Amino acid sequence: MSLGDLYAQYHDRVEFLVVYIREAHPVDGWWLGKGIPKAMLKMSGSKAALDVYDPQTIEERRAVAGRCEVAMQYGIQTYVDEMDDAVNEAYAAKPTRLYLVGLDGRIVYAGGLGPFGFHPSELAAAIEDYIAQMGDAVA
Amino acid sequence: MFGDIQIRKKEKSWQERFDALAPKVGDVAPDFKLHDVNGQNPIRLSNLCGHKPVALVFGSFT
Repeated sequence: MSLGDLYAQYHDRVEFLVVYIREAHPVDGWWLGKGIPKAMLKMSGSKAALDVYDPQTIEERRAVAGRCEVAMQYGIQTYVDEMDDAVNEAYAAKPTRLYLVGLDGRIVYAGGLGPFGFHPSELAAAIEDYIAQMGDAVA
Repeated sequence: MFGDIQIRKKEKSWQERFDALAPKVGDVAPDFKLHDVNGQNPIRLSNLCGHKPVALVFGSFT
């Protein structure tokens, strides 16, 4: 199940937020833009960008986040972590992670660290379970 | 190649350090206030809670 599918199926009952965080594989960091990593990305059909340098200002990060939002076409509103990476650190989010927060503000689902622990289908199952438990409270 | 190995070690160290502190099921979700890609429309997580459950998708373009 893709994130787009997840959003399409549940957006009327769940608030979705993309939180854009520090780059996982910028050109000037752990770059995947050559050799075997590049070939593997291409084979997987990933839409990950290979031309992004690590943003040094919030304006730069917001600009890249905007590009990402357009490229991914999830339909989910994107919010951008500040340059202190506070939200990234609070949720140990990098490179990618999924959470579900319940009506009471408590964590209902905490996904594994991506990419290998990133499973939208698990989040879907957690949403289904939570909706079933909460009944009319989540209409 | 040596540079890549160093970067990977640093990333792994970061993940181990922060993953141990990451919120678990049942924990109160850390609150935050962020702006959109245009630096506008601030949103606070705690203001969203209570209306619908909130799915948080963390990631980057790379």
